Amino acid sequence: MEACRRWTPADRAAAYRVLDHPADLWLELYGARLPQLFEHGLLALYDNLVALSGVRLTASRTVEAQGASAADALRALLAEALFLFDTEGFLAAGARVTVEAGAPITVRAVLCGEPLDRERHELLAEVKAVTYHRLQAEAHPDGSWRATVLLDV
Amino acid sequence: MDATLLRIDEYIWEIRPTGGMRVPGRIYADAALLDALGSDQSLSQVRNVAYLPGIRRYSLAMPDIHFGYGFPIGGVAAFGVDDGVVSPGGVGYDINCGVRLLATDLTRADVEGTMKRVVDQVFRDVPSGVGSHGAIQKLDRAELTRLVVRGAAWAVEHGFGHPRDLEYTEAEGALPDADPDALSDRAFQRGLDQVGTLGSGNHFLEIQVVDEIFDPVAARAFGLFEGQITLMVHCGSRGFGYQVCEDYLGVMAAATSRYGIELPDRQLACAPVTSPEAERYLAAMACAANYAWANRQMIMHLVEEALMRALSIGPRDLGLRLVYDVAHNIAKIEEHTHDGTTELLCVHRKGATRAFPPGHPELPAAYREVGQPVLIPGDMGTASFVCRGTQAAMDQTFGSTCHGAGRVLSRAAATKRSQGRSIERELAAAGVTVRSQGRKTLQEELPEAYKDVEEVVRVMDGAGISPRVARLRPLGVVKG
Repeated sequence: MEACRRWTPADRAAAYRVLDHPADLWLELYGARLPQLFEHGLLALYDNLVALSGVRLTASRTVEAQGASAADALRALLAEALFLFDTEGFLAAGARVTVEAGAPITVRAVLCGEPLDRERHELLAEVKAVTYHRLQAEAHPDGSWRATVLLDV
Repeated sequence: MDATLLRIDEYIWEIRPTGGMRVPGRIYADAALLDALGSDQSLSQVRNVAYLPGIRRYSLAMPDIHFGYGFPIGGVAAFGVDDGVVSPGGVGYDINCGVRLLATDLTRADVEGTMKRVVDQVFRDVPSGVGSHGAIQKLDRAELTRLVVRGAAWAVEHGFGHPRDLEYTEAEGALPDADPDALSDRAFQRGLDQVGTLGSGNHFLEIQVVDEIFDPVAARAFGLFEGQITLMVHCGSRGFGYQVCEDYLGVMAAATSRYGIELPDRQLACAPVTSPEAERYLAAMACAANYAWANRQMIMHLVEEALMRALSIGPRDLGLRLVYDVAHNIAKIEEHTHDGTTELLCVHRKGATRAFPPGHPELPAAYREVGQPVLIPGDMGTASFVCRGTQAAMDQTFGSTCHGAGRVLSRAAATKRSQGRSIERELAAAGVTVRSQGRKTLQEELPEAYKDVEEVVRVMDGAGISPRVARLRPLGVVKG
């Protein structure tokens, strides 16, 4: 297994915040660099699916996604992770992300965690989909990134 | 107040066309509900929908409108089949999310003191919660292929329900244009193990009592009487439908630019009704709609068994039968008449319920004189309503009405407001026994997170679109 570092509460605080929306989960994500923006997107997704503290890092999966823009690649990556959860029950509590710039942008993530165990894991919300609504990702002059994405719950 | 908003009458507000709007917007609301929309951006979504090519008459919003993605929730829009578009965002991810109402021969006295037992049994027998699965043996691909073509009839043919149930289901539980070739492998993968499951979020199964009849004639036709025990199921097409929407949003994004359609929001991605992209989407959407009807049919069977077990009674004592099953996230090709002209329209209902009038050929014979039953679930602490469809709905809203209470609090705000409270205990004090897979669901689904369903229903009653027939009070609730 390729090791990842477990996400900590400090990572969570730096990764994202929830914006106001009456029905769905509207997330604002931050990253010092583009790969970290993607990693933080994954953290935010899993943080809303499951109580992360209960997820052990005993297995890994690799997902890959492409997008014409950073925003599209981010959305596609989260949709891949969600598909993996819905079909295999795979939950992650850490990830390593690499990005191949170009057209399209290719992002590869090693997700570290374990398959769902209903006895042990506390599931939080059913995320139906990662939408295109107000999907944005922008780079700041210092190279850091900010993105918004809306999850249908 | 928004300067482009005109009051038409007590219950109708119009947004005058500005920018690229092809038609006005119309909102059904009273002054209080409109006020409550406040800074909510759903009105801008009503405007955005009016930009879409081939839209007829109005971009409509029901009184339970709230901010969605792309189309508002509580939105209705109809497009010409020759010059209009189909938009997966106008249906949503949970294709054919809908409501099924079951009547029983039991009265309140028959279930006195049993609610905990009943709710526990239903909770055990109907899989619910995030990623719930395993109601029946996992299907193989060939079986799922048959299921998505046959819809509710698939379940009935496999012994889950009665042929009569199909007559009392919108579209008889199957849209005819379902084509499994339009489905991705991923949709199949997500659908194999979720038939007969409730899911999570705002989906629920309720044991209710009829506590007031407003329209005795229609209530009699629907087989409802005061003090009667009813059951309501609210769920949709599960991961299967989410995947169909996901797949086709990608297809439609490309189609939007290919056909040179300009959009104010990417989530509105669409294609001309006549295009191959739209045809394939509608064929896949029909599969998902049929999946949802099979799902609710299966849940009806599971809940019947659960009730008989919990109450130690047989099918004759229970007398369970389907009152009606409606879709509230769907696009359908329907015939509509305006100013003497009849044409085929692609009607998108996203968080809106069909409300066909008396005499409509799609209604079962028993309801033809009173109109289609409209099922409007409220929040888990208050009430749900049975209303009926009218000619006014046909004339004004493409035969559509509201679908529920509509959220007012964000999930985060609801969770915050739930801190230090036991929602379960509060509901118990109000006479409602509740079981949920997740503590968080109960907090997010707090009764005050929703608009007052009484007020929403009163608007559509007052506007003459869908008059009230009966109010149903929850006694027991299973949440995912």
